[in-house]
Amino acid sequence: MATTTPLTQTDRERSALERREIDASCRVPVLYFATSAAFWLLVGTVLGIIASIKLHSPYFLTGSPELTFGRVRMAHLQAVGVGWSAMMVMAAAIWLMCRLSRVALIYPTLLVFAGTMWNIGMIADVVGILSGDAQSVEWLDAPSYVPPFFITGVGIVSAWTVATFRRRRELHVYVTQWYILAAVFWFPWLYTVAVLMIFWMPATGVIQPVVNWWFGHNYLGLWLTPIAVGTTYYIIPKVIGRPVHSYYLSIIGFWSLALFYSWAGMHHLIGGPIPAWLATASTVGSMMMFIPVIAVAINHHMTMLGSFQRLKYSPALRFTVFGAISYTAVSFQGSIEALKDFSEVAHFTHYTVAHAHLGMYGFFTMTMFGLFYYMVPRLTGREWASPTLIRVHFWCDAIGITIYFVSLSIGGWWQGRMLNNPNIPMPNIIEYLLRFLFARSLAGGLIGLGHLAFALLLVANLMGWGRQRSGGPTYFVEPAPNAGDVQG
Amino acid sequence: MDRGMVIFVGALLTFSSSWLGLILYPYWQMQNEQPYAKTPGDDLYPRPLGGAALAGVKVYQANGCLYCHTQQVRSAKFGNWWEDGQMKTGADIRRGWGTRRTVSRDYIYDRPTMLGTMRTGPDLANVGTRYAEAWHHPHLLNPRAINGWSTMPSFAFLYTREKVVGGQKSDKALKLGREWTVNPGYRWRPTDAEWAAILARRVSTLPDVSQAATPNPFNLTTAAGKAELLAFWLTTDEEDYQVIPTPEAESLVAYLLELRKAETPLPEVKE
Repeated sequence: MATTTPLTQTDRERSALERREIDASCRVPVLYFATSAAFWLLVGTVLGIIASIKLHSPYFLTGSPELTFGRVRMAHLQAVGVGWSAMMVMAAAIWLMCRLSRVALIYPTLLVFAGTMWNIGMIADVVGILSGDAQSVEWLDAPSYVPPFFITGVGIVSAWTVATFRRRRELHVYVTQWYILAAVFWFPWLYTVAVLMIFWMPATGVIQPVVNWWFGHNYLGLWLTPIAVGTTYYIIPKVIGRPVHSYYLSIIGFWSLALFYSWAGMHHLIGGPIPAWLATASTVGSMMMFIPVIAVAINHHMTMLGSFQRLKYSPALRFTVFGAISYTAVSFQGSIEALKDFSEVAHFTHYTVAHAHLGMYGFFTMTMFGLFYYMVPRLTGREWASPTLIRVHFWCDAIGITIYFVSLSIGGWWQGRMLNNPNIPMPNIIEYLLRFLFARSLAGGLIGLGHLAFALLLVANLMGWGRQRSGGPTYFVEPAPNAGDVQG
Repeated sequence: MDRGMVIFVGALLTFSSSWLGLILYPYWQMQNEQPYAKTPGDDLYPRPLGGAALAGVKVYQANGCLYCHTQQVRSAKFGNWWEDGQMKTGADIRRGWGTRRTVSRDYIYDRPTMLGTMRTGPDLANVGTRYAEAWHHPHLLNPRAINGWSTMPSFAFLYTREKVVGGQKSDKALKLGREWTVNPGYRWRPTDAEWAAILARRVSTLPDVSQAATPNPFNLTTAAGKAELLAFWLTTDEEDYQVIPTPEAESLVAYLLELRKAETPLPEVKE
């Protein structure tokens, strides 16, 4: 990317043609993964809203075992945390790997098979949990018959990624590719070890929660985060037409994330019945996470410097930058949260739920929406039907996650303070929290509205109800003539 | 970094470090932890669950109880609350959730180990010492029958409401006012018309019921008297119907009664 040789018009046209050919080869498998992901996002949103309402209005939809709070909450986490996130991560990995390696997609049928494995697994997962087969192991609630589908699916995608990488025609390996390669290697290992040590050959006692949180934290840190950070490294320079600020900062960011993130998980068990050194080791790992996060933040900020006005025009850029800023915020917060004194209050409260949603939604999901708005028109050849709907989508989600985060952070903090004061009885804490939980339901409704706009746009695009892509990308407003070569 | 091998080896090494440190080493350290007996020949603690309690684990798992209830009591030195100048409060123990902190040995037979991460409700590590079976069943049917402020879901689907046959109620029938049992999981109250019909149909027996229970009979000629009678009547058992726990409810309660993790002294608990 960091080339300084001026490109001739012929060079540009040749690259554009090559990209179009690669995109055409990606169309079916990548859209299959991406639309499946979007479907699970919608399922998860409905489940999330139901679970949220139940926390302040216990008579809401009570009476059927399928819709009891615990099951809906587990199904919500599986639908968004595994269905949406993992399938979207795979869609991103497949498309970006093809583009950055400059090779047409190989073995499309195999990828469709892998996606189908994942979809079958997800149906069995959500239906199984709602009908009473859940495992009650956070992030790993999928019933016992589900993991083989996931392992097969992701195993194929991982092998495919390596095979594509080995066929690369571009000699320079871009930072996004490092993240993709590492993530597709880490996740199958992580998942298999976790399933093995918790379900297939259960380890003794508290080793299970140790494995559980090593998995739970690394699922975000070594599977979703690398691909989402890799996506921001791709989308931001592409849209604003400038190379990444510093190659060396991206190297520091990558290797320090690889080393420190994987050590951070045990802070979920601070104060619990595990050896104290385990939690301490993870607190150190969490503090060291400042390094990769600051490296990435500086790199993105310096890349964006002078191009912030383009947030007005480009939907892809606006979602991606929102995600990148949330990444910095949620990571800083996470490092502080891992400190023992802080955790003594925040642990076991909605504060942690707010933090998790800032990461999974504010960072990961918003970044992936950015990728959607950039990628899908290039795959379908159609532009987005309505900039207004994109605007509705953005503002509903941005305001929704803000209300969500602020209300639960405040409520959760005081919940923790009150839980630590033995003179405050439980009923008072439960009653105090109701207003914040109600605000969270409102936020969830707003986010759901945004997702509805997103789903309409996606369906319209897939049905071919937009203008041809050759007319240039969809903008919120047309850029001023001197705004430069805005590309997305 | 243009070589795939560099990325592969680096990713392998960094990830292996945490795998060795956070997983394999604790595995080696704790995998063979044994139950404890104060002197040889004493009863061992902990003991594996059996029978109904073991089946109850599945009910607890299937319904996600873990997402509102932890099973871990933290140390007397844990928890910072500085308002009264006392830095560490050990709130878990002072709330009566256990007499001591829980340690790894308390969990050696747990499959899976459900420590939990959220306290929407109280900790359950030691709940078996706090409530009896007769408390759990009405509470599970509708927690608001016991605690008006509760936001816990009604687990009415673990109970069946059936007609009493032969005039004799089952021993297992829940002793709970009809406002909680007519429509299990909800709080029932007749409409004005229904109440008028009930009064008209049973006017001969109702005052008897009320008079048996109160020194002052309700004056059914006034609206206030009728309202008082309604309030009282709602708290009495249904005559023709009973609510019975399903085997699932019974095993869940058996499991809850076995949760006594923070009770038996262990040598490593000393702080």
